[in-house]
Amino acid sequence: MDERLKKEWESCVKCGLCRSVCPVFRELRQEPFVARGHISLLSDFIKGNFDFDSEKSKDYLYKCLLCTTCVEACPNDSGTDIIVELARRRIVELHGLALYKKVMAKILLNRNLMDLSALSANVLSLFLFNKNVNTSRQSASLRIKLPFFDKDRLIPPLAPKTFYNKYKSYGENPRISIFPGCLINYTYVKIGDAFINILHKLNIGYIVEKKASCCGAPIYFSGNFDDARILAKRNIDLFYDQSIDYLVVLEPTCASMMKFDYSKLFMYFDDEEYVQKALKLAEKIIDPVKYLYDNTNIEEKLKDTGLTVTYHDPCHLKRTQKVKNEPRDLIKRAAHFTEMKEADRCCGNGGTFSIDYRDLSLKIASRKIDNILNTKAQVLVTGCSACIMQLSEALHIAGHDEVKTLHTLELINQSLKGG
Amino acid sequence: MKFDYLKDLLKERFLDEKIDRLQYAYDATQKIYLPDCVVLPKTTQEVSRILSFANQNKVPVVAKGCASGFSGGALNVAGGIALSMELMNNILEIDLDNLIATVEPGVVNYDLQLALKPHGLFFPPDPSSWKFSSIGGNIAENAGGPKAVKYGVTKDWVLGLEVVLADGSIINVGSKNVKDVAGYNLAQLFIGSEGTLCVITKALLKLHPLAQASQTMQATFNDMELAAKTVSDIIKNKIIPSSLEFVDHQAILTVENSMKAGLPTDADAILIIEVEGSVFQIKEDLEKIEQICIKNGARVKIAHSIEEEESIWLARRSISPTLKRIADGKLNEDIVVPRSKIAEMIKKTQEIAKKYSVMIVNFGHAGDGNIHTNIMYNTKDKDEEEMAFKAMDEVFNECLKLGGSISGEHGIGITKQDYLERQVGKRTVELYKQIKLTFDPNNILNPHKMKL
Ligand SMILES: Cc1cc2nc3c(=O)[nH]c(=O)nc-3n(C[C@H](O)[C@H](O)[C@H](O)COP(=O)(O)OP(=O)(O)OC[C@H]3O[C@@H](n4cnc5c(N)ncnc54)[C@H](O)[C@@H]3O)c2cc1C
Ligand code: SF4
Ligand code: SF4
Repeated sequence: MDERLKKEWESCVKCGLCRSVCPVFRELRQEPFVARGHISLLSDFIKGNFDFDSEKSKDYLYKCLLCTTCVEACPNDSGTDIIVELARRRIVELHGLALYKKVMAKILLNRNLMDLSALSANVLSLFLFNKNVNTSRQSASLRIKLPFFDKDRLIPPLAPKTFYNKYKSYGENPRISIFPGCLINYTYVKIGDAFINILHKLNIGYIVEKKASCCGAPIYFSGNFDDARILAKRNIDLFYDQSIDYLVVLEPTCASMMKFDYSKLFMYFDDEEYVQKALKLAEKIIDPVKYLYDNTNIEEKLKDTGLTVTYHDPCHLKRTQKVKNEPRDLIKRAAHFTEMKEADRCCGNGGTFSIDYRDLSLKIASRKIDNILNTKAQVLVTGCSACIMQLSEALHIAGHDEVKTLHTLELINQSLKGG
Repeated sequence: MKFDYLKDLLKERFLDEKIDRLQYAYDATQKIYLPDCVVLPKTTQEVSRILSFANQNKVPVVAKGCASGFSGGALNVAGGIALSMELMNNILEIDLDNLIATVEPGVVNYDLQLALKPHGLFFPPDPSSWKFSSIGGNIAENAGGPKAVKYGVTKDWVLGLEVVLADGSIINVGSKNVKDVAGYNLAQLFIGSEGTLCVITKALLKLHPLAQASQTMQATFNDMELAAKTVSDIIKNKIIPSSLEFVDHQAILTVENSMKAGLPTDADAILIIEVEGSVFQIKEDLEKIEQICIKNGARVKIAHSIEEEESIWLARRSISPTLKRIADGKLNEDIVVPRSKIAEMIKKTQEIAKKYSVMIVNFGHAGDGNIHTNIMYNTKDKDEEEMAFKAMDEVFNECLKLGGSISGEHGIGITKQDYLERQVGKRTVELYKQIKLTFDPNNILNPHKMKL
């Protein structure tokens, strides 16, 4: 393993500060569920004093949202996310993957994106696809019985046509390439629609690279490095030589994975060629809102929609990509904005975390609900479709369906219409 | 099996797999000692049963709060049971008539502050670790924080305790009464006893009304000695700020490097001064302090927004954990000298640093004379390590010569036990041992700490 990775855990001084910020620890209150605990295990593993053979390893290491709140707060920049991922890799080696995670990896690896419209489903629920369930596309949302978990869960409807089926490259000599991410491709296509509309209104050309693969985040986060590496390589090979200024990645989690985790993944495999390629590609990866903010005069074109809104910071937008003020600046021009308390507290989704530990995930989400309601906003705006999925469900459970959720891009698109 | 009884008693709150033992094996000293098992009681009764079991079987028991301690107090140096108080974390009562809070020991200091704020109250002890240290740990270490200069330390704010003794008996010491002189003042004996005499299971805490207003100011000096002199001058002028902290050049650089809080990296030292009181009072105090600072050659900046204020304090509270950026080894001392001797002490540390060619980073609660003297060294360089220990020895000697103490707040634990006798004397250490035997004849409670 590359020496550069070691810094991530060797820098921890065991001060315990992360106990004051971790959303999971806040609910469970025990050392095994906080960054310091995770780091101590990994560092003993690396030193050869310990192995993750206990069944408990899964419970301890999978009960982490990878929200990077601790990473941001840590005075020494300990990289708990990569530490947890490395520990999970060892756990997968020893204990194997949960069945549904195996299925998920298979689907994400082997599908041909263009052919998948028939099987369209949201990525985190791909594996939940069940013939017996009525997937009526008209219904606003569906209650699907999870085949593996037997828990009711509100799952958004599948889009009739995927993003990749709907759009192709546009404009002469386009300088950006769009990577929608699976959730937007299959489910929240309307968020992709919004971005495409904005680009058309601003007369910006773009490439839609239909051969793109899943970024690999869901399988990498569950500790399946080998399959994640295959996907990472494919994407790097695909985009590396593209003559573009930016690779606009619509999902913050995918962006974060491609921008920051790809290089670490290859460091893990001591693959210096791809470490360098990943770092190079990382420079081009950008969030759509930041792209618009930095490269267009969109600010001047936004009109007040009359909505009162508040904003939730997605972990992988604010903390990893450091995009925090740009969306707020644009939102303020498009609507009446009130800042909520603890706007950057994790929503509790955490990808497969929300499937494996549904109750805990919703408990974490429910802490946000009061903060949202206290702002009296009509609309909760955020920049991540996974957060939208999680928070709209939490609002629904709390009996507050009147508070709508919108992606920042959707709000911008509405406001650009000149309403 | 040896611990079957505890397993039956606590079920899933009894842990003995290696994965669990490893996570209760450390504290902020970064030393590691594996306990044989971990227990997470939820009630005083459970603590009592655990202790009487341990006492009968002569197994060591080490109480653990949040493991943020800096002297190794929470480490199971002789194995045994790690008694984690994490789950005893309820605020039982906020008595607004008497301004007293009753809490379980696992309550985090800051969580208590959040609960008190809506009532216009606060609990004055505020160690820099307040967001991640427990009230039980604060009491056991007699913790102090920036506000100690005005409000004193933990011992000044504890009225009574419920504790479990080594044999499992549960006793209450002190009471809700402001005045109570019945019998020995055992509560004060238990405060700062580092888990060696009893396990605290409940605490009655005195509360204080929140000040009407407060303001923070940062004074930048080109000369450390002038900063230290300013501290003495402020006190001499009969102004008692609510905090009076100082940070030396190296500490400024390190924390700035980590978090870009906008600290002046060209300064030799800064003072962070907070005043509290009525709007009128703080204005008057600030003006006087400003004059004193300027007279001593400082540049003064007053924080005008809560964000500015928070950023200054966050920087201050982050110094300690960021020191690792300088070197991987540190001897983290928290010496204290009479306030008038601060300048002299700091000068001594600088001389000592030169003499042994080690880096010494100083910062701390200058308002109460408490200096965090961090001797930095590279753990892979044995010569440097040896020099660092020699330097530490000399720092202690100089501090004692000035009438100081080797620990202002972190406690003795294991890291300072070899120096304790030098300060308090042989006869006193003997007395400690006799006291310990009276409370804990089998020496099961946190053995091998404080020379016990
Ligand atoms: C970054 C940082 C900054 C710090 N700043 C300060 C500061 O400004 N001022 C200060 O005073 N300290 C400071 N400390 C040291 C430490 O936070 C304090 O000593 C704190 O009081 C320890 O609390 P804890 O809950 O972490 O206790 P632990 O570390 O878990 O335990 C400390 C001691 O208390 C005993 N103990 C814990 N709970 C109980 C109980 N219920 N009954 C009996 N004994 C018990 C343990 O056996 C041990 O001896 C700092 C530490 C860090 C890491
Ligand atoms: S991860 Fe960072 S914040 Fe947590 S204990 Fe380690 S150094 Fe402290
Ligand atoms: S990444 Fe988030 S959930 Fe995981 S340890 Fe850090 S703060 Fe906790």
